[in-house]
Amino acid sequence: MKMNFVKRAWLSLSAKWGRSILLVLVTSTILMFVLAGLLISHAASQATAEAKKSVGATLTLSANREAAFKKMQSGSTTSKPKKITMTPVKLSDAKKIARSGNISSMNATATTSVDAKSFDTVSTTSSSTGMMGMRGGSSSSTGDVTVNGVTSTSDVSSFTSKSSKITKGRGIKASDEGTNNVVIESELAKQDNLTVGDTMTVKQTTGNKTTYKLKIVGIYKASSSASSGMGMMGSDPSNAVYTSYTFANTIKGSKYKDTADSVTFKISNPAKTTAVKKAGDKLINTSTYSLTTDDNSYQTVKKSMNTVSGFANKIVWLVAAAGTVILALIVIMMVRERRYEIGVLLSLGESRFKIAAQFFTELVMVLIVSLAIAGIGGQFVGNQLGQQLVTQAQTSQTSETSGPMGQGGGQPGGMRSGGMGGQRSGGFSQKKAAKTKLSTTVTATEMAELGGFGLSIMFVSVAIGSLGIMRLEPKKVLIDD
Amino acid sequence: MTTMLETKDLAYWYENGSRPLFKDVNLTFEAGKSYAIVGQSGTGKTTFLSLLAGLDHPKAGEILYDNETLKKIGLTNYRRRDVSIVFQAYNLFNYMSPVNNLMTAMAITNAEHRGDQEYAKRMLEQIGIPKGDFNRNVTHLSGGQQQRVAIARTMCCDAALVVADEPTGNLDEQNTKAVINQFQSIAHDQGKCVIIVTHEPEVAKQCDVEIQLADREFQTVVR
Repeated sequence: MKMNFVKRAWLSLSAKWGRSILLVLVTSTILMFVLAGLLISHAASQATAEAKKSVGATLTLSANREAAFKKMQSGSTTSKPKKITMTPVKLSDAKKIARSGNISSMNATATTSVDAKSFDTVSTTSSSTGMMGMRGGSSSSTGDVTVNGVTSTSDVSSFTSKSSKITKGRGIKASDEGTNNVVIESELAKQDNLTVGDTMTVKQTTGNKTTYKLKIVGIYKASSSASSGMGMMGSDPSNAVYTSYTFANTIKGSKYKDTADSVTFKISNPAKTTAVKKAGDKLINTSTYSLTTDDNSYQTVKKSMNTVSGFANKIVWLVAAAGTVILALIVIMMVRERRYEIGVLLSLGESRFKIAAQFFTELVMVLIVSLAIAGIGGQFVGNQLGQQLVTQAQTSQTSETSGPMGQGGGQPGGMRSGGMGGQRSGGFSQKKAAKTKLSTTVTATEMAELGGFGLSIMFVSVAIGSLGIMRLEPKKVLIDD
Repeated sequence: MTTMLETKDLAYWYENGSRPLFKDVNLTFEAGKSYAIVGQSGTGKTTFLSLLAGLDHPKAGEILYDNETLKKIGLTNYRRRDVSIVFQAYNLFNYMSPVNNLMTAMAITNAEHRGDQEYAKRMLEQIGIPKGDFNRNVTHLSGGQQQRVAIARTMCCDAALVVADEPTGNLDEQNTKAVINQFQSIAHDQGKCVIIVTHEPEVAKQCDVEIQLADREFQTVVR
């Protein structure tokens, strides 16, 4: 019968149900806000982790344009027109970096152009609005079809951002290396009545103008906004085709074998971007090549989620502190109200510790009911508060990172060629970050954590409230009063 | 009869009081006897009782229970094991039924019949609580019934010493008579020592020994 205080706690709670309901309401409210804070905090961590997967970070290996420019300025003293010599990236170097760890995939890109032979290209009058400049650096003459050589179209930014979509067949894959497989734009396919399985012929724009037969393995549809800047100088974006980078190299010439204009690596853990870059720099000749990182998307999401998480943590601790004070006051009032009961218990020889334990048990019983109520209510409060916080955090983050130029936060796509006239998809990551949603779902872990918080609050409250019990003299209560 | 409780040069005064309420009190209390402590209001009889009940420490002198000082026994142990108290205001647990009041007291004092609900019911029946009231909240009982439940509580516990502070103060004549009879039965039939503080001469007369407190001195009248 040493646990008689548990029975007393139950009898007290069940007999004084009005007070018990009040305690349950107060405790539920406190726990609801603590849970909301915990949910938001956890959801923010989860969102940051998700951001690692979805927005990711990239590392691009390309020719060191700055060094090449300096070399050009110092190397020539004649009055001849100066020419920048860009060294293509060796795939052997890229493979070394890929093996250095924390790299989930790599995408080699080589861009060139050819002339159409067996088909007509799409021509529009306003196609020059998105002029991006010549890629590759090696082409001396511009053809009417842009050949985007890649390892895999699924790693190309326009495809990852869904601005370009495969509508028929498939995209270019790593297994297409060494083949003449091609993915063409739907407008071009429509105009020339081409479909998957058909072949098309193109010819080199320079040299001996070799003809190549290409096998169509897929058709993609580019949204107007995405395609507006895709083409080479003056070319309609619909004339851009995707092949394996090996085919693009073949067109460019034999000296481009086993090279690429640039290689983009996807970093598996964006938090380690700096470390990966450092390790990569050691593996390359930095006077010829440069490694550039782009984890702005990740940093944007991380920063906004850190803001949300920080605020959520403040909510948890503030509510927990306020809850402790409120419950401690209630316990103090309970002790005052029940001093005769405490006096009788003391007169019967009950230990003060067990009397405090009775009060603690009563609150634990209240806590069990309150946890269930808070579990339901906290989910709702967490959802509302969480989305509000995310919207605020991301609005301020977007305006902060966009800056006056409206840039920043851009994720390089597979097409980025490090200053050699590549394509940037600046709006992509910001769009991604703005779409970040908090998944405030109550799990067993959160409930266990909430229970822990609740127990701690109850314990501290009873410890404070029990100071009165420890000081109470039974004679004063039972006889003097 | 054996001496159960003894006071040696007992004295008490309030912190701010210049004169002691009483001093040099040397009394003995025996098992199987009932004692009445009588005196005018403010003479210190309740304070004296609180010292015997282990609710407070004396300012001077000592109290011995079974030849051992209360200081050595420890007041909490003494209250749990050796003494049972009945108050004028009953002081029952107001959120419990009579049965649960008795069960709780037996559990805390580690009484022989702890956990035995039937025994608690027998005790209640013995002191005249109707069966229908056994599981009602005690606040629904009359004053007389509540005081009887308080007495049943002392009967359930194994304490050999029963002290009562004005146990009939709130009762009518009929209930007073019944309560006093219960105390006499506890002393004479159960062999316990019963000490009652009262200002009612009729109650005092029914006890075996009357101790009068006047002018800070105790005078014993043995009948």
